[in-house]
Amino acid sequence: MAANKQQGKSFALFLVGGTIASAGLLGAALGKVALIVGLVLVALSLLWMFKIKSLEGKVSNGLQPPAMKLAGVATCLFGWLIVLFGLHLSSSVGGRMVFAIVGILVSLIGSLVILPAACNKNAIWKA
Amino acid sequence: MKKLQTKIVLGIFLVLTLAPSVYAQTPATTKDLAAAVAKAPTVADLQKGDPGGALTGSINDVPVSDAKTGLTIGDVAAQVGQNKIGINFTWTLICGFLVMFMQAGFAMVEAGLCRVKNANHTYMMNFTVYACGLFAYWLIGFAIQMGGAAGSGNLGGLQPLNSEHLTTLFGHSWGIFAHAGMMLSGSSYDVGVMVIFLFQMVFMDTALTIVTGACAERWKFLTFCVSSILMGAFTYPLFANWAWGGGWLSQLGSNVGLGKGYCDFAGSGVVHAVGGITALAVALILGPRIGKFNKDGSPNPIAGHDISAILIGCFILAFGWFGFNPGSTLGASGAGCLRIGSIAVNTMLAGCTGTFGAMLYMWIAKGKPDSGMSANGLLAGLVAITAPSGFVNTVSACIIGLIAGVLVCYSVAFFENSTKVDDPVGAISVHGVCGIWGVISVGLFADGKSNYGGSWNGVTGSVTGLLYGDAGQLVAQLVGVATLIGFVFSMSFIINWILEIFVGQRVSTETELEGLDIPEIGALGYPEFVIKPEPAFLLAAD
Repeated sequence: MAANKQQGKSFALFLVGGTIASAGLLGAALGKVALIVGLVLVALSLLWMFKIKSLEGKVSNGLQPPAMKLAGVATCLFGWLIVLFGLHLSSSVGGRMVFAIVGILVSLIGSLVILPAACNKNAIWKA
Repeated sequence: MKKLQTKIVLGIFLVLTLAPSVYAQTPATTKDLAAAVAKAPTVADLQKGDPGGALTGSINDVPVSDAKTGLTIGDVAAQVGQNKIGINFTWTLICGFLVMFMQAGFAMVEAGLCRVKNANHTYMMNFTVYACGLFAYWLIGFAIQMGGAAGSGNLGGLQPLNSEHLTTLFGHSWGIFAHAGMMLSGSSYDVGVMVIFLFQMVFMDTALTIVTGACAERWKFLTFCVSSILMGAFTYPLFANWAWGGGWLSQLGSNVGLGKGYCDFAGSGVVHAVGGITALAVALILGPRIGKFNKDGSPNPIAGHDISAILIGCFILAFGWFGFNPGSTLGASGAGCLRIGSIAVNTMLAGCTGTFGAMLYMWIAKGKPDSGMSANGLLAGLVAITAPSGFVNTVSACIIGLIAGVLVCYSVAFFENSTKVDDPVGAISVHGVCGIWGVISVGLFADGKSNYGGSWNGVTGSVTGLLYGDAGQLVAQLVGVATLIGFVFSMSFIINWILEIFVGQRVSTETELEGLDIPEIGALGYPEFVIKPEPAFLLAAD
């Protein structure tokens, strides 16, 4: 399908919705109304984009298993939490450094091992 | 020789005679000011012209608050204060303009590294990202990032930005996000706020434009626009608040005693790593270009179309970096700002050794001083020195740049061969990996000699790394790295996964094979060029 008028209109609606929602966060009396209207417009724009998505045609990307992707993201976040809680579980610099390194390694497993495996599981070049 | 001795003796005599009188001077009085006004050049003097420049600019140019009283000490002092802020505004704005020009460099590098059939699309993404990012940042991003950043003495205090939201955890208050400054309205309609907005905006836009490189040649233009807006509105500002806007990473020193808190002078982490890590997230979702990998997983090289654009673009970026790093003092007058010279020299040296690192690695390992990788080496050095530029000496800058230059070569090979992530320009390695190296290098090489007003992140003293005696600083930097890899990456991945579901990230196979210029943008980058047919492996869509 490539770029077309429908895409342009839906993006314009997204921009208008985002602007009104932001203005709503600023405003006093009418602020909440503007915020709701803006968010509704953003949601409508995304639905519009979703509606025309199928017109794009065949895409050269295989199915990426959602559960595996979720596991990758969860591992990344878990690594970060190890570091955060490590700051309070240990009061020594050495202990905190160990927690930080362990947390980073866990996050790296999520981002550089699990997620690439998920995203490449059915990659087109494997076919 | 005798003459010289006489001069030295005379000089010592003068110093000994005059020094006590200098220190014994009483404070200037209104009478002194009146005398100075009387000595100043008159209108009649100026009417004759001032070819030597000795008459223009005198005490007569200091504004008088009350014409009846005439010039007072208060008037002079106010002018001195305004001069300081004026110098800092001018410095920060000009540096911001330099950083803005980096967009041109990014556009040339990225487009040059892509195939000719996608040139217009790649240039157009780099062009449009400026508008997308700026608008999102004006709407909400700036407020989230800098809405609680009041206190910058260099820019007049920025007092309207006083809205950091705090949460109490484990007995300490931590900054999470801010909200003052949305649409630059209300009390943020302020001269100082405008300056910091412009400067921070061009930084944010640099982060956004990094993503376009890694996702080039297959990213749907509509999705790119929406993704860039969301990154400029939320992802980047949130991490930037934590590091620069008074958020929790900057409080690691004052709250839990880790050095001076997370220190990122000009944005190896905040700008480059955020951009590079987001690029990795989107590139994973997008998948590799058609023909990039063979069935056995081995990669095929896909050559860019314009090496001159790549190398000239790199020089534009290196030029813009003189705004990026020295500009991050947010001033040229007061509070350690005179380190701008040291910061600029560190910047150019790290770029130099980064170039050597990559060029020599390729020359020794592969037999040729690869120009594309040498260009990436320059950028890698510059990216790595961005965080430590304000805290290290020149020898450390050289080491940091050299390591980055070699690191980028290994990293490009790792992402291509091990993770099978297709990054046409090496953005993930240059900005993500070397950005993280830059953050860590602060914790290693900061020499404790910098002094920006006596404290950093509210902790008294200078930023000092492990090699100079403060291991806590390295831990603070590692916490920042963990946040980049653990939180920023996850947030970027989730946002773009949602966009994949609703909008779709990738263009159709047909569009990709044809080239994105006509289907996505409506015109070829080079309409009069005869495009050479591509090799068969690049046309194997299935």
